[in-house]
Amino acid sequence: MDLDSNRSLITAALGRIPAGDRAALQTVYRLTSTKLFGVCLRILGERAEAEDVLQEVYVTVWRKAADFDPSRASPMTWLIALARNRSIDRLRASRRARNMDPIDAATEIADDAGGVDIAIENAQEHARLHGCLEGLASHERAALRGAFFDGNTYEDLASRMKVPLGTMKSWIRRAMIKLKACLEQ
Amino acid sequence: MTDTFDHTGLPEDELLAAEYALGVLAGPERADAERRIARERVFATLVAEWEQRLAPWAAEIDEVAPSPQVWDRIADALPIRTQGRGLWQSLAFWRGLSLAAGALAAACLAGLIYFGAITQQQPLVALIEGGGHRHFVATIDTRRGTVAVVPAAFSADATRVPELWLIPPDGKPRAVGLLRADQAVTLNLSAELAELAKNNAVLAVSLEPPGGSTTGLPTGPVIATGKLTSL
Repeated sequence: MDLDSNRSLITAALGRIPAGDRAALQTVYRLTSTKLFGVCLRILGERAEAEDVLQEVYVTVWRKAADFDPSRASPMTWLIALARNRSIDRLRASRRARNMDPIDAATEIADDAGGVDIAIENAQEHARLHGCLEGLASHERAALRGAFFDGNTYEDLASRMKVPLGTMKSWIRRAMIKLKACLEQ
Repeated sequence: MTDTFDHTGLPEDELLAAEYALGVLAGPERADAERRIARERVFATLVAEWEQRLAPWAAEIDEVAPSPQVWDRIADALPIRTQGRGLWQSLAFWRGLSLAAGALAAACLAGLIYFGAITQQQPLVALIEGGGHRHFVATIDTRRGTVAVVPAAFSADATRVPELWLIPPDGKPRAVGLLRADQAVTLNLSAELAELAKNNAVLAVSLEPPGGSTTGLPTGPVIATGKLTSL
């Protein structure tokens, strides 16, 4: 299925949910659940827990679909943010961090932009973000990756990268500022 | 909203939005950001913009099929939605009705009877009062298993949110859901709650930290209560 029609199908289905259309939710589920489950599983690391959170995510979609504003965000952005946030909430509530292996920025394997699933967002957007991330210092990129993909907190990242908390905070903040500036170019 | 600038050159709120979207905040900082997203449109927009910037990264996460039972569990967990929610949830409608009748209670009851007659429902109603004020008016649609709660004279508290509890004759409060000071909400009752929502059960509102009580019981003051009565 091509990208634009997929996006408009998801948007249209989300728009029917506030009226109580269960088939519309099932359509959203069919089109997006493998991606969102991948996101939950990546952060939580455990299938049963990730499935619990996935269930919460779609029940939240059912309740909050009216909050989605297609003029402000793409449906996948909204759904991915929801899945990440519910997964992070679960991770925080269990008071554990999934991936706490030490990160050594010097030996960090470069991101592989090839072979990614670009069907969810357009390839250009991904290439642009990827290019801007490549422009960051390797320790900054490693810290952002740990946060985005492993759901790490500032404390987790400081511990994994063996730097003081204050240092980690300024690394991340500086990296986010550079990222924004690069994406706006 | 703060206007202080970090040494790095972006407004503090923008950095906080970035940290929330990235997911590095924990505990009270994360809860505080979530509370601001719910209340401050400008801040919510900053977060949404950061989510949009970071979302393409998720393209690097492999798709994985969940077990087929997950959809069944979702379908089972879906609350039934009240139809005609536009009018039921319209604060302007309720307030307008209230003005026209000169008394909120009479107006609400009249409205409920009117709609009850149209939809042939037999709703239960509770006037939730405390400290000499009527804070909320709740209507339970027993057929659909929902409760619609309209704020009357409830004023928002900057740090706490109103949470609705159902107290059946056994005296043990059951959490129903969070209410809003600025608009009507419709909450879905679980099968267990729907069974307990009968004449003479009591609805109570307590003030809880953002996100609601995490203990399953009210942790803050109960500010208002009202008995359920059939119309």
